Amino acid sequence: MIVRKMIFAAFAAIPFMLAGCSSEKTSDAIILRVSNWEEYIDEGDWDEAIELEDGTEICGENNIITDFEDWYFETYGKRVKVEYSTFGTNEELYNQITIGDVYDLVCPSDYMMEKLLREDKLVPYSKSFFDVSAENNYYAKGVSPYIDSVFEKLSVNGEPISDYAAGYMWGTMGVVYNPEEIPKEAASHWDVILNKDYFRRITVKDSVRDTFFTALGIEYYDEITADDFVNSADYGEKLSEVLNRTDEATVMGAEDILSRAKDNVYSFETDSGKADMVTGKVVANIQWSGDAVYTLDQAEEDGMELYYVIPEEGTNLWFDGWVMLKEGLEQDPDKQQAAEAFVNYLSRPDNAIRNMYYIGYTSVISGGESDLMYQYMNYCYAADPDEAEDSEDTEGTEEEEGTVEYSEIGYFFEADTDEANEKYSIITTPDQLDRQLFAQYPPKSVVDHAVVMDCFDDEANERINRAWTNVRCFDLDKLFFWK
Amino acid sequence: MRNFHLDRRQLSIPYLIYLILFVVMPLLVVLYYGFTDENGNISFANFIIFFTNSKTMGTLVYSVAIAVVVTVICLLLAYPVAYILAKGKYARKHSFLMIFVLPMWINFTLRITALKEILTMLEGNLAYHPFVNTVICMVYDFLPFMIMPLFNALTKLDSSIIEAGYDLGADFPQVLKRVILPLTVPGIISGITMVFLPAMTNYVVLDMVYNSTYIMGSLIGSYFSSYDWNNGSIISAILLMLIGFFAIFTERIMNRVEKEEQRI
Repeated sequence: MIVRKMIFAAFAAIPFMLAGCSSEKTSDAIILRVSNWEEYIDEGDWDEAIELEDGTEICGENNIITDFEDWYFETYGKRVKVEYSTFGTNEELYNQITIGDVYDLVCPSDYMMEKLLREDKLVPYSKSFFDVSAENNYYAKGVSPYIDSVFEKLSVNGEPISDYAAGYMWGTMGVVYNPEEIPKEAASHWDVILNKDYFRRITVKDSVRDTFFTALGIEYYDEITADDFVNSADYGEKLSEVLNRTDEATVMGAEDILSRAKDNVYSFETDSGKADMVTGKVVANIQWSGDAVYTLDQAEEDGMELYYVIPEEGTNLWFDGWVMLKEGLEQDPDKQQAAEAFVNYLSRPDNAIRNMYYIGYTSVISGGESDLMYQYMNYCYAADPDEAEDSEDTEGTEEEEGTVEYSEIGYFFEADTDEANEKYSIITTPDQLDRQLFAQYPPKSVVDHAVVMDCFDDEANERINRAWTNVRCFDLDKLFFWK
Repeated sequence: MRNFHLDRRQLSIPYLIYLILFVVMPLLVVLYYGFTDENGNISFANFIIFFTNSKTMGTLVYSVAIAVVVTVICLLLAYPVAYILAKGKYARKHSFLMIFVLPMWINFTLRITALKEILTMLEGNLAYHPFVNTVICMVYDFLPFMIMPLFNALTKLDSSIIEAGYDLGADFPQVLKRVILPLTVPGIISGITMVFLPAMTNYVVLDMVYNSTYIMGSLIGSYFSSYDWNNGSIISAILLMLIGFFAIFTERIMNRVEKEEQRI
């Protein structure tokens, strides 16, 4: 162990030796080291502003980080300098942290937060962060009650994750499909990846966890769609238990399903799936809701109409959120205040809208007292009689006449009551119920089928990873590999 | 003034620093992880696992198969081209060579993206023939690396030796077999070195043409992303050993060729 630490130390020291001389000079400002997903924040330079109903104009002129630095100085009278870097996967972030990169605030996904908390690497948010009476506590004031309840339920060693994490974006996993090529009934089950009718025309994520989840959805289809299972009182907990199974038999079953899927799908992709949908190489594609919105938008620009569906047997509810790292903060109260202010600034409804507009994912912020988020949803998806003529410009897609009322999202903004559903309903075009609106704000009935994937223990992870390698490696028995 | 004179030892310092920092140290880290277990104890378990697990061996076989096919095709395509370029009576040999090497100036992911579209047009669906597509794209990618050393070897080859062969009554196949090929072995070997090993590990090409089967490079990546540094490192170390063996083997052949050349 000592040798390993020394090697790390030697490597970690190099950049400091090289950079040491220059970076020390700005020491009067608080340095906040933030690491976030690639392309996961508003970088400014917008061509046009968003104009909401009540006249509010939102426009990302500058990078939102620069705006934060200015805002922080105006509000708290102190200078803060954000050193912003990005990562591509949760595992990459984790590897960076273990190798010795130091960050103050990072934005991992649900299970990685749990892993970091389990390893005692996180600092809890301060009490004052959750004080809803303070003006600048935009996160505590604006976070969706639904997301809040999900956070409360998750805990590691008896400590609720909500003390350590502030949500950023959330969503589901589902299937983007081309309605002209594949019917909704076929696309709305996970076993679409085994469907021989679409041989080599469907892509799956090249990600162990997501694909494993897909396999479980197929493996336990009969169990989780049985009437008495669905109608049982503790359906949510039971579904979560089934779709988080990692025992030997389950993993072997999943390995078998994925091996068959490998021989049937177009590819395991990390990023090419979106483009392949638009060019028509594939007819369906497993996606996270945010990427689905992006794909649908892109396809629309090319005059193509794609839909998004969430398999009815169950989906993965995921979220990314901000956590503060012990190693970075080092109990520096100024730094922690800056980190919390950063989260609050991103949670201010107008900034949440900027980020949503820029990256296509759904913010966990519902606005609280402010109705800007609801207005923004209307701005994006409300059927506007004046714009009906404009929408005919998108050629080849004959808009169906009429509008529908979508009133199943009260749970996100306020509570799952008829009153809230009525208050936060939206009049939209019928196709939106299969498209972006549905992807960004899924109805309560769909969210009821969603489970958060646990952070598996090391043993289970090893089992799953081994199964995954087995699926992906060339099988020596199958020597006719050119077929 | 004498103080400013740089001797050989001083001139080598910049590269020496580079070598230690970016070649030797990472290599030591790889070896360290390869031969320890997760608790940091010295262990050969990873090494044994690699050679006893049918899946990792399957990956090795698959990678070698791709690499062999790619290398052979590259050689068969490149040799005649290099020969014509080197021995033909063109005024602008080097300009012609440039045309063959030109694609290297464009980023290879870009070129493969273009090739992918062409292959999709020809085959309808790329995912039907992952192995063939991988080979086609790798050949496309690595061909210049084969042409260059062959061209150099063939240009250096004295034409009078070939003429002597004809004068002594040999026909072209005989001259090719007994004169040209043996004398260009060093070129062939350096061409193979440039193509074979990259072809075993370049998983970006496989990703791009939707070949979902792992090769050595992707297997290393998958181990690293599941925090299994030890098993990932041992594969890198094993590849390193393969390169080592290959280098020793080439050295021997080169020595033999040199001796024969001296005899001529």
